[in-house]
Amino acid sequence: MAKSEMLQTAERGASISKKAPHEKYLEAFRIMLQTRIFEEKLASLYRGGLITGGVYLGKGQEAVSVACGIFLQKGDVFAPLIRDQAGRSAFGEPLIDVARTYLGSRSGPMRGRDGNIHRGCPKAGQLAMISHLGAMVSVVVGKLMAKRMKGEKGFIGLTTIGEGGMQTGATHEGMNIAAVEHVPLVMVATNNHYAYSTPNDRQFACADLVDRAKGYGYEGSSVDGTDLAQCLEVIGAAVKRARAGRPPQLVVTSTLRLAGHGEHDDASYVTEDIRREPFAKDALQRTEQFILEHELLDRAGLQQIRAEITAEVDEAVSTAQQEDAPVGSEEDWCAVSTRALADRPSLAE
Amino acid sequence: MPKIPITMPQLGESMAEATIVAIKVQPGDKVSADQEIIEVETDKAVMGVTTPCAGEIAKIDAEVKGTYAVGAVLGYVEASEADAARFQKRAPEPPKGDVAKEVPGREEESATAVKTQNGSGSHFQVDETALPQVAAGSHFQVDQSGVLPVPAGTKGAGYFSPRVRARMTELQLTQADLAGIAGSGNAGRVTIKDLENFLGGIEGQPAEKPSAIRTGVADAMRRSWTRPLATVGLSVCLDPVLQDRAKRDPKPGPALYALRALALALAEQPNAAARLIGGRAIRSESIDIGVAVEAQDGIMVPVIRNADKTSLADLTGRYTELVDLARRRRLTGDMTSGGIASISNFGTFGLEWGTPIPLPDQTLLLGLGMGKKVPAWDESRGGFVPRTEAQVTLSFDHRSLDGGGAGRLLKRIVELLGEPAKL
Amino acid sequence: MSVTYLEAIREAQAKLLREDDRVFIYGQDIAGKFGGAFKATKGLAEQFPGRVLNTPISEDAMVGTAIGAAMEGMRPIVEMQFADFSSIALNQILNNAGTQFWRTQTPCPITVRLPSGGTKGSGPFHSQSMEGIYSHYPGLVVLTPATVEDAYTMLIDAVAIDDPVIYCEHKYLYYHLKADALPTEKLPIGKARVVRPGRDLSIVTNSAMVHEALAVAQQFSAEGIEIEVVDLRSVKPLDTDTVLASVARTGRLLCVGEAFPWGGVTAEVIARVASEGFHLLDAAPARINAKDTPIPYHPNLWSEHRPNAKTIAAKARQVLQE
Repeated sequence: MAKSEMLQTAERGASISKKAPHEKYLEAFRIMLQTRIFEEKLASLYRGGLITGGVYLGKGQEAVSVACGIFLQKGDVFAPLIRDQAGRSAFGEPLIDVARTYLGSRSGPMRGRDGNIHRGCPKAGQLAMISHLGAMVSVVVGKLMAKRMKGEKGFIGLTTIGEGGMQTGATHEGMNIAAVEHVPLVMVATNNHYAYSTPNDRQFACADLVDRAKGYGYEGSSVDGTDLAQCLEVIGAAVKRARAGRPPQLVVTSTLRLAGHGEHDDASYVTEDIRREPFAKDALQRTEQFILEHELLDRAGLQQIRAEITAEVDEAVSTAQQEDAPVGSEEDWCAVSTRALADRPSLAE
Repeated sequence: MPKIPITMPQLGESMAEATIVAIKVQPGDKVSADQEIIEVETDKAVMGVTTPCAGEIAKIDAEVKGTYAVGAVLGYVEASEADAARFQKRAPEPPKGDVAKEVPGREEESATAVKTQNGSGSHFQVDETALPQVAAGSHFQVDQSGVLPVPAGTKGAGYFSPRVRARMTELQLTQADLAGIAGSGNAGRVTIKDLENFLGGIEGQPAEKPSAIRTGVADAMRRSWTRPLATVGLSVCLDPVLQDRAKRDPKPGPALYALRALALALAEQPNAAARLIGGRAIRSESIDIGVAVEAQDGIMVPVIRNADKTSLADLTGRYTELVDLARRRRLTGDMTSGGIASISNFGTFGLEWGTPIPLPDQTLLLGLGMGKKVPAWDESRGGFVPRTEAQVTLSFDHRSLDGGGAGRLLKRIVELLGEPAKL
Repeated sequence: MSVTYLEAIREAQAKLLREDDRVFIYGQDIAGKFGGAFKATKGLAEQFPGRVLNTPISEDAMVGTAIGAAMEGMRPIVEMQFADFSSIALNQILNNAGTQFWRTQTPCPITVRLPSGGTKGSGPFHSQSMEGIYSHYPGLVVLTPATVEDAYTMLIDAVAIDDPVIYCEHKYLYYHLKADALPTEKLPIGKARVVRPGRDLSIVTNSAMVHEALAVAQQFSAEGIEIEVVDLRSVKPLDTDTVLASVARTGRLLCVGEAFPWGGVTAEVIARVASEGFHLLDAAPARINAKDTPIPYHPNLWSEHRPNAKTIAAKARQVLQE
C-alpha cells in the first residue's frame, strides 16, 4: 500500500463510527486467523515431539499484534517480541520463515543458529529479538536515528513489550533515550496480566502503565486489546502521530494471555476470576462475531478463508519438515564477519 | 503403508521423561493430524500428545502409568504415502547465502543502506582493634615457605625442560645419552644450548646403527640404573658341585646348580626378592628365575618357572632347551617375562668377578665367576690342598634390601651349593 | 611537535568524522565545549555539528542505540565515561552486538571506547581493565593499544571493522605517553608486536603493562639478561603465532596483566603456550596480575595492587632461575 493511501486510512480510522469497520479490518482478521491456525499447528507439532525448544504463542493477543504490524511499511522498523506472530505476518514475514525456524531447517533465516521467536530479518526492518526484555527498544532508536542521519523520511519504529518487560532497566533506558532523541517510535505495551506466572500486583504498583507516558515525555493511549476495531484505530493513530513527528507514542493494551507462557506451561496459576474479566475475551472470537454481525462475511465465507489458511499453513509446515537440519560438521563456526579476525584458540583448528 | 512413530515430546526445557495418564486410542482407530491421543503428566502439567499426521493407529507401545523418556517411541501411525513423505528428507538444499527474499525491502537493501562516504575524634574514627587480623598461632596459619613438596632431583642435573625433552624426543635421545654433558644451566641443568653443542661435538665421529637387541638391552639397563644398586660377593667351593655333576645324566651346568640354590634360598627368604613400587613391597607368588644368555650382540634372559619346586634333574632339560632357544634368539615373550631374580654366569667369559645389573623389573641378580684351582688351607691335614673355587656375587636394589639381607641370602646359596645332592 | 596518547585518540576521531559520513560519536558529556570527562572529543562537536552527541546516563541504551545505527549502516563510536561503567551495557554488547552477525548475518560495526585501567586515587569503580570479560564472549574484537601510534591507527581500523570492537584505551597513558608525530605506518589488527627483542625470557603483556615490562627489560639488560617484550595489541583475536615464536626464541614465558587474576588474558596466553608450545619451554610459564581484590583507592595500596616494575622483575627473576 502506498504511503499516502495508508495515511488516509489512518485518518479515516480515527473518525469513523464504531459500527463501520476499519478499512483494514478484514485484512487484519485474516492475519489473526492465520496466526491462530498456524500457532495451533505449532503447538500440536510441539506436543507431537516434532519441535525442539520452546513454542511461544500469542493466543489472545492477535488483535493487538496485527495492529502493530499492519500499519508498517517498507523502511519502517519493527522489533517484535514473543507473542507477535500476527504483527510479524502483517509486516510481511512469510510463513515459511516461521516454519523453518521452528522446525530447525537449515534453509531458514536463522539456519538453526537460533530458534523459534528469536528469528528476524534486520535488513527487512524486522529485528531479531534477544531474550533479555527491553534490550530491543534502544536498538530501534538507533535504527531510527541512523535513518534520520541518512536523510530518510517518513519512517517510524514500532516495538512491543509486556507489562513484565516494562519493568526492566533496559526498557527504561530505551524509552527515555527515544524521547531524548525525539525519534518516531511507537511502543505498544500489552498487559496480558501474567509475566510468565507473576500477576500484576507483583510487577508494578502504578495505577495504569499508560501513566508512565507523561513521565517519559511520550503521548499515551490505552486500548482494549480484545477489540480489533479499537486496536486498529488506536494503534493506527499512534503510528500516524509518530510518522507526523510527534513525540514517541506509548499504547497500553489490556488482554489475557490465553495460553501458557510457552507450550510447556499449562498456566494453572491463572485464576478463574481473571478468566471472567472483560479483557479475558478471545479477540479472534470477537472479531468473527463482529464480521458476522456486520455481514462483512457470512459463515461460508469464514469457512472458506479458514480452509485457505489451513492449506497455506500445511504447505509451509510440510515444506519445512522435509528440509535438512543443520549439521555441525558443515557449520561455519565463526562469530565475526571479518574472517581474518576470527580468533584461533588452538593451532589444531 | 508407512508407519510414522508417535514420540514422547519435549514438554518443557528441563523435562527428561513423563508419565502417561491416559491413552485415548487403540490400534485400528482412525486419527486425524494433530489429534490428541495420549495424555502425559510432567512435574509441571498434564498435557496432550498429538499425532504426527493423519492415519490409522498401527500400534501403541506405551502403557498407562508408564514413564517414558523424551523421544521414546510410544506407538506408530500408519499413514498415507503422501503424509509419510513429509517425514522424508529431500535432497539437501544448501543454506542460503542470504535470507529469503519474501520479506519486503530485502532486495532493495542497497537502496536504503549506506550513504556514500566522502572519501574513504569523630565516630568515624577507625577502631583498630576491629580490623581483621590473623590470630597468632592460629591453626589457619598459612605455610609461608611458598614451596610445594616436590621430590628432590626435579631441578638441576636431573631436570630436563619441556624444550630439551622435546628436542631429545625428536632425536631419539635418552637422559643416559646425555650423561656426558656437563650442564651449564641453573644448578647444572642441561640447557638446549648444551645439548646442541654436545650434538655438534659428536658430529663426524664414526657411528653405526645399533641392532634391535642392543637397543633393547640398552633400554633395560638404563631403566634399571635409575635405582640405587649394590653388589656383595663371596667365595664358593665348586668341588662338591663338580663331583655331583659327574654322577648325573644329563649333566646340569654349574649355572643351573646356582640357579636352583638361589631358588631354594629365596623360598626361605622370600622378602629378599620383593620389588619396591611406591609405598608397597611387591612379592611374586612363584619363584621364577631368569638366566642371562649371551646371544649375538646382546643378552637374552629366559625364565625357569617354579625353580624352587622342581628338582635339578627335572630342570636340566628345560634349561638346555631355553638356553638353546635364547642363543638362536627364538624366545617368545612368555618365556622371558615374570622372573623375580636372574643369574648371570659371567665365568664363562673367563671372568672371576663382576657387578652385573639386575633386570629393571627385578631386585636381584646372582653372578657366577670362573672356577679355578686354588690352594686351600686344610686344618685337619695341617697343609694346603687344591680345591676349585669361584666367586659368587649378588647385585641388588638397595631400596629393597640391605647388605645384611643380601649377605644372608648369598651365604645360604653357598651353603646349598656345598650339598649339591640335595638340589 | 609532540602528540599524546589522548590526542592521538582525538585526532583519529577527527579524521574518522572528517572522512566518513557514517561515523558519529555517542557518549556522556562528550559534546559541547566540555569535550568528555578526559577531553577525548574536545572540539569535535563544534567541528562536526550533530555528529558528536551527548547521551543520558544510560549505558545500556547508548550501546543499544549504537547497535541499531550500526545495523542501519552507520559507524557509531560509543564513549563509555569509564570502562567500569560498561558493565551496565554488558547485555547489549555481549548478547545483542556479539550475537548479531552469527544469528542474522547482519554486521554490527560498533566501536565502544573504554577508558580503562588504573590511575592513582581512582578506586574500585574507575580503574578496571575489562578486556578479559569481553574477550570471553564470541563475536567481539577486543583491542588494547599501548602506544600513541597504535592508539591512533587501531581506532581508525576499529571503526572500519564490520564487527563490534571493544577499544580499551588506557587512562594512565592518556597524558604520560607522547610521540613525535602521528604515525604514517601501521601494523594490522590481530598482530602482536615484539617491542623489544631478547633471548632469555619473553614477557607477553598489553596496554600500560607494556611500559612496565620495558622498564624491567631495561633493568635486566644491565646484567646481561635480555628480555623480549611482546605487546599483544589485540587481545581478541590473540596473535598466538607471535607469542609462540617469541617463546621459541627464549624458552621462558612471563605474562603480565593489569586485570584481575582469575582467568583473563594472561591465563589464556599461558593456556595456549602450554598446549601448543609445551616443547618450547625451559621453565613453567608464569603470570602476574593485579591482586584478587577490588582496586584500592589509596596510591600506596593501588601501586601494590597492580603489577609494577618491582614485582614484575621479581617474578621474571624467578622464571629465569627455574
